This record gives sequence, structure tokens and C-alpha cells, in this order.
Amino acid sequence: MAYNYKTELGRYRRYYQSLEPIFNKTSSRTYTSVIFSFLAVSLFGWYAVRPTIQTILYLKREITDNTLVDKQMEDKISALIETQAYYQQIEPILPVLDQALPPNPDAVPLVIQLRNLASDSGVLLTSLQPASTPLLGKNPTKNSTAPTSSIVSSKQQSYDLTVSVQGSFKNIRSFLSGIINMRRVTTITGMTLSPTKGEPSASPSSTLSENILQLALRLKTYYLVE
Amino acid sequence: MENDQDLLLISIFTFFTITLWVTFELLKTVKTTTVSQSTQQVVIPLNPKIDIDTINTIANKQVY
Repeated sequence: MAYNYKTELGRYRRYYQSLEPIFNKTSSRTYTSVIFSFLAVSLFGWYAVRPTIQTILYLKREITDNTLVDKQMEDKISALIETQAYYQQIEPILPVLDQALPPNPDAVPLVIQLRNLASDSGVLLTSLQPASTPLLGKNPTKNSTAPTSSIVSSKQQSYDLTVSVQGSFKNIRSFLSGIINMRRVTTITGMTLSPTKGEPSASPSSTLSENILQLALRLKTYYLVE
Repeated sequence: MENDQDLLLISIFTFFTITLWVTFELLKTVKTTTVSQSTQQVVIPLNPKIDIDTINTIANKQVY
């Protein structure tokens, strides 16, 4: 259909003429200007002002954050240098930590140490019974005969030993001191001290230190699973 | 006249809604950190002190 500008012009002229009386009213003009002002401010606020201020605030926040991160990084580098110095200082004696808390149960070396300690202390080692011990540092099976084996923490584990020795009070005290001073971390969880059965004292005047006593110890030792 | 008042109310509510929306968007921008999670893990403070006394105490203990 061809565009007839005369017809269209007449139609729009009528339209504008019908609007003219409305815009001639003061209240309508005021309302219209206020309404369009609010809408214009809202529109430009959302599409122009917001992104601009948001970018400004984001960049300022980024500067603050990066300054803080830079300071924390410098602090950490200083701490690492200090730690490196400490590490070099203690590096020669670090293997003692593995002796104190070995990475696997190491039951045999512990038994050897207890045997040597008993020998040094002058007591007779009558029995030594480690609980069911994992050889590779894994958790003992739940149905094993080691109910006392427990997980102390997520990595530190322990197992029990039962030791019985005979000797004089003095030697037994030396044996106990030796256990306390042993580098391998071992704690005494139970102790029973009793006179030896069937061996009465040599004479009625003999003192406690001369009597042969029997000591039953319950020990707990630890290792660290890596 | 009533039509004008309704339109005015709508435009005022629109204006306030947009203003509040912009304000909260800007507050969110200010409060949200720009540091990535990996960087935050890297900058966790490190205590450089090593308990040398304890290590010396262990070293002074005996091995039989």
C-alpha cells in the first residue's frame, strides 16, 4: 500500500490537536515533567551512574586488598626466612624426632631398648608382651586382640606393651627412671609392684631395698603415621 | 487528574526502588573482597617459631 503523506499528516494533526488542550493545563504539565524527571533519573541512575560508581568502588577496593595482600606476603616471606634459619639451626638434631616418634610402630627396636634398659638397671626381665602391632603403620584390624590400641589423633597412633621385671627396689626405681628418660615416647599407664612369691626375705632384718620385688608395667608407646 | 497522580506514584516508587537497588549493589561491591581464594590461602600467616627447647629436651633423652 502506497504511503499517502497527506492522509497521514491529517491524522497526526488531529491527534496533536486533541492533545493540545491537555497540555495546556498547568497541573498536567507539572505532573508530566515531574513523572518524566523521576523516570529519567531512575533510568540514568541504573544504566549510567551505577556502573560508573561500581567501577570506582571496585577499583578502590582492589587497591586496598592488593596493598593488604602485599603486606601479608612480605610478612610471610620474612617468616619463611626466619623459619629457614631455625631449620638450619636444628637440622643436625632432627633425626631424634624420628627416634622419639617413629613413622611406623617400630616394636622390635623398642623391645630391644627395654631389654637393654633392664640389663643396665640390673633387673631381670621376666616377660615382655607387645599388643597386636601393625608392622607397616596401618591401623590394627578391629577384631584384633588389641583393644587398647587406639587412634589418638588423625595421624598419631599408639599401642600397648606389658612388661614384667624382677629386682631390688633400687634397681626397679632405676628401671622406671630409665623408661621416663627414654627418647622413644613411652608412657606408663599402669603399674603393679609386689613381693616375689616363693622367695621370702633372706632374713627378718632385711629391708625393702634388699627384697626382690616384681614389677608389672603397662606401657603405651606412640608412632606417627605419615 | 487521578491518572496523573497514579503515574506520579508509580514513577516515585520506581525511583526509590532503583535508588535502593543501586545502593545495595554498591554496598555489595564495597564489601566483597577482590582477593581470590587461592591467594587467601597463600597469605595465611606462618608462625616461624620452632620449639627448639623441646627438641633439645628430646635430644638429651637416652637411647638404650
